[in-house]
Order: sequence, then C-alpha cells, then structure tokens
Amino acid sequence: MSLLSLIVLIPFFSSLLLALVYLANPLRERYAFYTAVGVLAPVISTILAFQAGWEMLGNGAEFVIRERLFEWIALGEFKIAVAFMVDRLSAVMLFFITFIGTLIHIYAAGYMRGDAGYGKFFSFFNLFMGSMLLLILADNPIIMFVGWELVGLCSYLLIGYYYSDPANVRAANKAFILNRIGDFGFISALALLFVALEGSGYTFTAIQANLSMVDSGLLPWIGALLFVGAMGKSAQIPLYVWLPDAMAGPTPVSALIHAATMVTAGVYMVARFSFLYNEIPQIGEFIASIGALSALFAAIIAIFQEDIKKILAYSTMSQLGYMFIAVGLGAYSSGIFHVFTHAFFKALLFMGAGAVILALHHEQNIFKMGALSGRLKVVFGTMLIATLAISGVPPFAGFFSKDAILAAAFASEHYFIWGVGTLTAFLTAFYMFRLFFVVFLGPARKEHSIRPLSKMITYPLVVLAIGSATVGLLGLGEAYGGSDLFGAFVALPDQKMHLSHRNEYLLAALNTLMGFLGIGLAYRLFGKEAKRWSGDGAWQRLAINKFYVDQLYERIFVRPLFGISHFFERVIDRLVVDGIINSIVFGYLYTGGLFAMLQNGKVRYYALYILFGVSLVSIFMLSALEGL
Amino acid sequence: MEAILTYIIFLPVLSAFFLGISGASLGWLRVGAIVSSLAVLVLSAIVLNGFDPSGGMQFVRIVPWIQNYGISYYVGVDALSLVFLLLIVLLLPILYIYIWKEQRKGYWYNMMLLQTGVTGAVLSLDVILFYLFWETMLLPIFIMIGRYGSGRFRYNAMKIVLMTILGSMSMFFSILYLGYSFFEATGSWSFAYNDLSGLQLGEQASIWLAAGFLLAFAIKIPLVGFHTWMAPAYASSPTPSVVILSSIMAKLGIYGIWRFGYGLFEGTLLHYAPTIIFFALMGLIFYAIHAMREQNLRRMFAYSSGSHLSLIALGVVLANHYGWGGALYFVATHALSSAGIFLMIGLLYKRTRSIDMSGLGGIAAVAPKFAFFFAFFSLSIAAIPGTGGFVAELMIIIGAFKHSMWIGFVAALTMVSAILYIFRMLQEVIFGSTGANIQNFEDLSVREILMLLPLLLLLLATGVAPSLFMPLIEPQINSSLIWLMQMRGGF
Repeated sequence: MSLLSLIVLIPFFSSLLLALVYLANPLRERYAFYTAVGVLAPVISTILAFQAGWEMLGNGAEFVIRERLFEWIALGEFKIAVAFMVDRLSAVMLFFITFIGTLIHIYAAGYMRGDAGYGKFFSFFNLFMGSMLLLILADNPIIMFVGWELVGLCSYLLIGYYYSDPANVRAANKAFILNRIGDFGFISALALLFVALEGSGYTFTAIQANLSMVDSGLLPWIGALLFVGAMGKSAQIPLYVWLPDAMAGPTPVSALIHAATMVTAGVYMVARFSFLYNEIPQIGEFIASIGALSALFAAIIAIFQEDIKKILAYSTMSQLGYMFIAVGLGAYSSGIFHVFTHAFFKALLFMGAGAVILALHHEQNIFKMGALSGRLKVVFGTMLIATLAISGVPPFAGFFSKDAILAAAFASEHYFIWGVGTLTAFLTAFYMFRLFFVVFLGPARKEHSIRPLSKMITYPLVVLAIGSATVGLLGLGEAYGGSDLFGAFVALPDQKMHLSHRNEYLLAALNTLMGFLGIGLAYRLFGKEAKRWSGDGAWQRLAINKFYVDQLYERIFVRPLFGISHFFERVIDRLVVDGIINSIVFGYLYTGGLFAMLQNGKVRYYALYILFGVSLVSIFMLSALEGL
Repeated sequence: MEAILTYIIFLPVLSAFFLGISGASLGWLRVGAIVSSLAVLVLSAIVLNGFDPSGGMQFVRIVPWIQNYGISYYVGVDALSLVFLLLIVLLLPILYIYIWKEQRKGYWYNMMLLQTGVTGAVLSLDVILFYLFWETMLLPIFIMIGRYGSGRFRYNAMKIVLMTILGSMSMFFSILYLGYSFFEATGSWSFAYNDLSGLQLGEQASIWLAAGFLLAFAIKIPLVGFHTWMAPAYASSPTPSVVILSSIMAKLGIYGIWRFGYGLFEGTLLHYAPTIIFFALMGLIFYAIHAMREQNLRRMFAYSSGSHLSLIALGVVLANHYGWGGALYFVATHALSSAGIFLMIGLLYKRTRSIDMSGLGGIAAVAPKFAFFFAFFSLSIAAIPGTGGFVAELMIIIGAFKHSMWIGFVAALTMVSAILYIFRMLQEVIFGSTGANIQNFEDLSVREILMLLPLLLLLLATGVAPSLFMPLIEPQINSSLIWLMQMRGGF
C-alpha cells in the first residue's frame, strides 16, 4: 500500500475508528480524541496529496501515477479493480479537496464543539472525505460511481444530522432521492458504455483508447445520460431542488459538501469524460444551455431569499451553471479553473456565514443581522474578499475564472449563452452584495449579544481569504501578460477557440463593469437601510416562492405516485388478483358441496365407497404388476 | 464423506424427533436445536472446503428408493445449491439466537423441521424427492403463522397454503407426466434430474409441462399477479419464519426456475423468457410503488422483497454472465439484508409491541446502536455501495443492457425504486422526535449485536470485495452458459 491508497484509505479508517468508539458509548464526551482522530486524517491525506502533487509538477503532462489496490470483481468481461490514478486533472481536484477539506475540518472542530453527536459528526465527515477522494482518484468509472454514491450517502447523513426536526430529515431524503434519479442516468450510461466496449477493458484510459468501437448513434445517449447524473449531483435544472433544502445540515457540511467539493463532482465527471464529449458537441451545447439556464434561474431566486445559507446555496447552483457552460462548450480547463477558484471563495462564504450564525446564536435571517462590520472584524474582512471574488471584481479569484468561461462562450459564438452568463454576472454581484451590505452594514436590526469565535473558526477563514484573493492569478491569460499556468497544468483536451486580444479586453471590461454595476445597485438599495422585498406584484411573489417548482413537483410526481400506490392496493390486489383467487376458492366450495352429498353419515354408504375404492386399487395393482 | 449431505439434510429433523420423543425440557430443546444447527454449519463448511467450483455436481449420493417407479434418494451439490445451502446453515443459528428466550416449544420444533425442508429442496436431484421437500417446508410455515402468528393469522395462514398448493399441484402433475414421458421414451421409470434433462419432449408437451413448474415458482417468488398471499403472510408471521420466507423460501422459486427451468426445458424457457421478463420488470416497479404507502413495516418489506426478487428473476432469464452472476449474487446478499431487516423489525416489535410506522420515531436519539443496525440493513436493501446488494444490482443492470437497451432502462429503475419507500420509512422510524413510547427503548444487547454482526460483516464483505466470492460461482456460470449455447444451437 502506498501513496494514493493511503490518501483514500486513511479517512475511511479514521471514520471507522470514530464510529466504533462513538457507538461503543455514544454519551461519553471524548472531545480531544474525536478531534485528534477526525482532523488528523485529512491532515495526513493533505500531506500525502502534496507529495503526489509535487511529483506531478516535476514531470510532463503525460505523467500519471497509478496504483492498484485489489481486484474488486471479475465476472465474464466485467473486470474491475479498486485502482487509483492521478493525472493532471485529478491532481488539481486532489489538491483543493484535501487542502480546503482540512481547513473545514479544523473549522468544524470549533463549530461543532459541544454537540452531543460530535464523534458521529466526524465519523461522517471523514467518511465523506474518503468517498470524495475515491471518486476523484478512481481509475475506472465503476469505482468512481461507488465514490459518487457514497458521497451522496454522506450528504444524506449530514443533511439529516439534526434529525429530531422532521423537516431536516425530509430535506435529507429529498437530496438522496433526487441524486438517485440522476444516478439512474449515470448507471445506465455506464452500463451502455460497458456493453458497447465489452472485452476491451473498462478503465478511463481503455475507454478513451477504444472509444471508436462505440456505435456513433449510441454516444449521444451515453453523453446525455452521464449528464443526467451530473444534474443530480451538481444541482442543475431540473434536479436542483434538493440543494437549497440541503442547508438544513450543519454549516461546515454546507461549506465542504454542498459548496466546495461534492457538488462539483458533476463538472469533474464531464471533464473526466472530455474525450467522449468532444465527439458529441450537440450534447455539449445542451449541457451548456442547461448550465446557463440554471445560472440565471438560481441567481434570480437568490435575489429574493432572506436566509443567508439559502442565498449561498442558490449562488452555488448558479456558479455550477457557469462551470457547465464551460465544460459543455469544450472549455474544460476554464470549467475546472472555476471549480478550483469557487472552492476557495464559496467555502469561505459559507464558513463566514457560519461564523456569523454562530456569533448570533443561530440566527440565519439576514434581515435580523446588521452592523456586524465592527463587531466581527475578521469575518467582515474575509467575507468582503470572498464576496468581491464571487462578484467578479479583479484581481480576485472569481474574476479570472468567470471571465475565461464567458470568453469561451463568446469565442465559440454561443452568443445567447454568453449573454445569459453576462447578465447573471451582474445579478451575482447584486445579490451577493445585498447579502453583504444587509449583514455587515446598516443599523443592527435586533440586539444580539455576540458570542466570541474561537481561533479554530477564524484562522481557516484567513487562509481561505488569502486563497480567494490570489488563486485567480494562476489562470492569468497571455492577454494580461501571464501564460495561463492553470490551463497549461491541467492539460485537458479543450476545443480550440480564438479570440483577439482586443475582444478579450473588451469582454473583461464588460464583466468588470457588470460586477460594479451590481455592487452599485446593491449599495443604492441596501447600503444605507435594508428594505425587504415588498412581495407585491405577481413577479415578485413568483420569485419569492422560488417559482413554485417544489409545489409543481409535488403535484406532478409525488402525489400521483401515492395515488397509483393506493390504486394498486385497492383495485389490482383486492379486486383483480384476490377476485380471481376467491372465485376459484368459491368454485371449489361449490363443487365440494356437491361431493359433500355423498358424505351423508350412513355407514352403509361408507362401506360401499371403501369397497369401491379397494376394488379400483386392486384392479390397478393387478394390471400394473401382472400385466393383465 | 459420501453421506455428508444426508447428515446436513436430516440432522435437524432427527434432532427434533429424538428431542420430541424423549420429552426434552425447554433447556434441552434449546441446546439440541443449536447444537444441531451448529453441527450442520460445520458440516457445510467441510462441504465448502472440499468443493471444487468447476467440478459440477459434487458429493452426490444415489440410493434407490421406490425402484418400480425409478424414484431414488438422489442428492448432490453444485455452485447454485451451495449458495442456498450456505445461506440456510448460516441463518438458522442466527434465528436460534433470536428466539433464545422463546418459551413455546413448538417454535423450536418447527424451525428444525423447516431447516430440513428447505435444505432438502435445494439438494434434491430427484424431482419426486424435491417435490416432497418442497411441500414439507410449507407445513412448519403453516403452523408458525397459524398458531404463533398475529393479526388475521388464521386466514393468512390458509391463504399462503392454498395459493402455494395451487402452484405445487400443477408442478406435481408436470413431474408425474415427465416421469411417464421418460417411461414412454425408454421403457423404464426415472425421476432423476439427469435422466429427465436429457429427455426430448414434444414442443406442445414441453410448453405445458414448463408452465406447470413455472406456476409453482411464480407463486413462490412471487411474481406480480401471484402475490396476494405475500403481504398478509409476512405481516402475520412470527419473525423467525418471516426471515425464512423472505431470505430462503422466496428464493427457492428462483432456484426452481434455474435448476428445473433451464435443466429440463431450456428451449421452452426461452420461449417463456419475454413473458417472465415482462412480469419481472412489472414487479420491480409495481411492488416498489406498492410499498410506498405501507405503514406496516413487515408489509412494506414484503413488497420490497417482491420488488427485488423480481429483479433477481429478471437476471435469471437474461441468461448472460452478468444477469446470472448478478442474480445468484443477489440471492445471497438479499437474503442477508432481508434477514437483517426482518430481525430488526422483530426486535422493534419485542420492544414497542408495534410495527406500525406511525407510532414510532426518534429511536436514534435513545438507542444509537439499534438505529445504526436498522439503518444499515435498510440502506443495504436500497443497494448502497459497500454492501453486496449494490454489486448484484449493478451486474443485473449491465446484464439487462446487454440483452436490450430498453429492458436495461427499466431494470436500472431499481436505482430509484427502493428509495421511494426506504427513506420515508427511516424518517418515520428512527429519526424525528422521540415519542413517549420510545423514551424507554432499550438499545441492543450484546447477544443481539452478536446475532446481527455476521450479517453485517458479510454484507460489507460482499460489497467491498466481491472478488472473494465470485470465484465460487463463476466457473459454473461459464460452463452453464456454454452448455446453454450448445443447446440453443441444437434448437
């Protein structure tokens, strides 16, 4: 067992250890032990991941670290090994997942302190880390799918962590069910692909090498179905409704799972299958359109939300939309770059929000906050950087990655998608600064005693703020005198697009303008005094109620299913099947009644029957034995 | 060594017999039952140890019995029956631990008789012998439900017996006619599996004979349309027999299709394949939707069982590596999962006297170990990766796609079907706020944990490292497929 296996297995083992200790005596306080084990595991994984990354940096783009742990299954041609692979793409994922994951674990040790289920929480949290690492390091799609499902399970367990409130459990159920609907697509695609390639191996490398064996009529099916999986995991239209509800989980969970890592797995998957999506640009355009639509739709809803975590959840969905625009249009490295920068600033936003929530004794409504800039200085400063980053203000991280995506949409002549993206950039700056101004500026709307925050909570914020401010520079394009270090490093098979420097400057200027316009508008409306939306007018009501999508799904899917279930019990089972059986039974009873006349209780008759029976048997025996 | 299977089959019933005539006290009865089940477990381990996966039928024992009609005591084990055998011998000791404190002696005697019935059915290679065991196992089930059951147990016991007998009668006619056909063709009687499988039947006769067998198996599984005995029987049955019903007996229908469907009527089975596929796919979805609104936990998991058995039936008729491998793997893993969940429901009933979801909730807060095991077995039913069910479903889905894309899509719905009911159930039973009747809920005792642990560990092992188990069944699947290919070529 060496490097990669250890990276994946250490969080699993630590999760197991925590679970056993916790289950042995759940009520016992073991804060130090749980913290040591729970935080140490991601720390070790991070150190090992850095070692792997170091190895990657020292070698060429083709260099891949492979490791085979054991054979998982071998049946017919279905031979799958638990094997890991680090190429440039997974190296990037590995880096930020372990690094940010560790920071969030430290933060969580501060945030969850005193919780009765502290040991259980870290067991789940480490299980998640292991599963997520399994997902990104798997060298074949089946093991990737195992990780994919396991992160969904952890997400379920952690969303429903505060299970005594049924609403939270419902949110967890919803997340799992919608993810599984996506997984129906994912597994169908994997099965189709396997059958098409049967016998030629089923690792990513082998699939790429033999892709030409797949019937070209089948490829769009496979690509689209894979994307259905991504829709579920990465909360895109129409499977997104679980993500806002997922905020029922503890805030560190929202930061780690529902912002920085798990929800971006869909984008990673599309990038992982980039060789396949390059063959089917029409499906790519579909993906980009869904992405653009989701980005805009979520941004509009976010404007009208009042719960700080819900706003951030919709903003996550919106940013994921951007990533899908990129990977759909074949700008894989820009998409992954946005995954990368987003992980920093969105984790920071959630952790900052969590810090505010904790400081205000679990208040989540932004209109009950206010005037916190002086009282929570570190949170204020770091949140400002993160908000600038997501709003696309240069030189913070989000600007460069978002700019690269919009430039790709423009250069590939998808002007509509580009337009939607640019509009969404404006909306993003607007709703994010609405949140920021309402929370930190203005008058205090409710008198709160501020609970002091421990260093375990504030220090990770500072580290992420530094990241949010600077990691964008890694993708500095040549138009700005850089050489796109990031794009060169991930070395994904991007579609060639050309954009003149003049256009690049124009687009960048436009994006910056959009950001400032959004901030300006937000300041005008919310900078001095925070007014809530009046809720007048059909459009506002529609947006405040999230376009009634939840209710619509309830109407057209959930209730009819229960209706059908009822129908099965009342009509099919009771009337049809039991009806037939009962008629057989009553038929027997009737015939039985006829025969019962023979059974009249008179011994003479019975003697006659016996005689009759014995005679028949004798005749039969004679004929059988003696051949009469 | 030759007689080892005979000991495995008859040790339980003989123990019951001697305990019975000696008028054993409850303490001795308990010891006797457990010792006999452990002895059988050890003997089966010896069989497993000496088993050659690519050796076909092994440990064969033939003793002429009713010679005039060619009926013999003929038993043997191959990979298919070995899987069933191992499940039976593993589950029985666990069930005895479960009923450890049971005062009613009938419980113990019935379980011993039941073990002989199911073991005999999977090891018999003479169809008359098979039929005898097939009927034998119904008797203890009838008594368990009809005497120790709950709810409308008398009616429900009658219903399962009548419906099952309807099926077995039609199978019995087919068996008799098969023997007669053999007599007509060769001039001598035989009911031995080997002899009959070589028999060339007319097309029409073969279709009717196969239908006779299939009806019995369809009711046992049960496929959609033959299922109305299922939920009532599960709901009324005491826990030990419900475990046997769902983990073993339902799967014997699958075993029957496999052993006799393919062995005796391979051509005709292919003729019926589209019909069975239709029923299986219907069942997968029908039962899952049915389970959605069940409040009674036993009834809900009865439908859940029906849904998964339909998927297994699909795998069996797909007749490719993945369908067969997945189906046989699912037989084992689903038996473990459903044994686990029905035991948990039994423990729940012992504590709360209720298996209706609406009165439960919040168990996680007072009994974390119970909640953990309960959630684990439920999630294993929903085929979470890391448990064996995931591997099995994955393979069946692949097999279905190999057969045809559209069948594949419907089969893949199994990803979604179980979650329709599992998560709502978990929410109602172990999460939520803790009601007054749950406040004093006892967490699992050490005995209970030891009883559940083997199931949990096996489910994890089958999920994490299927490669440990596949070599046991793969050679036979390969050789059977090659054999089927040749037979199909002959048609």
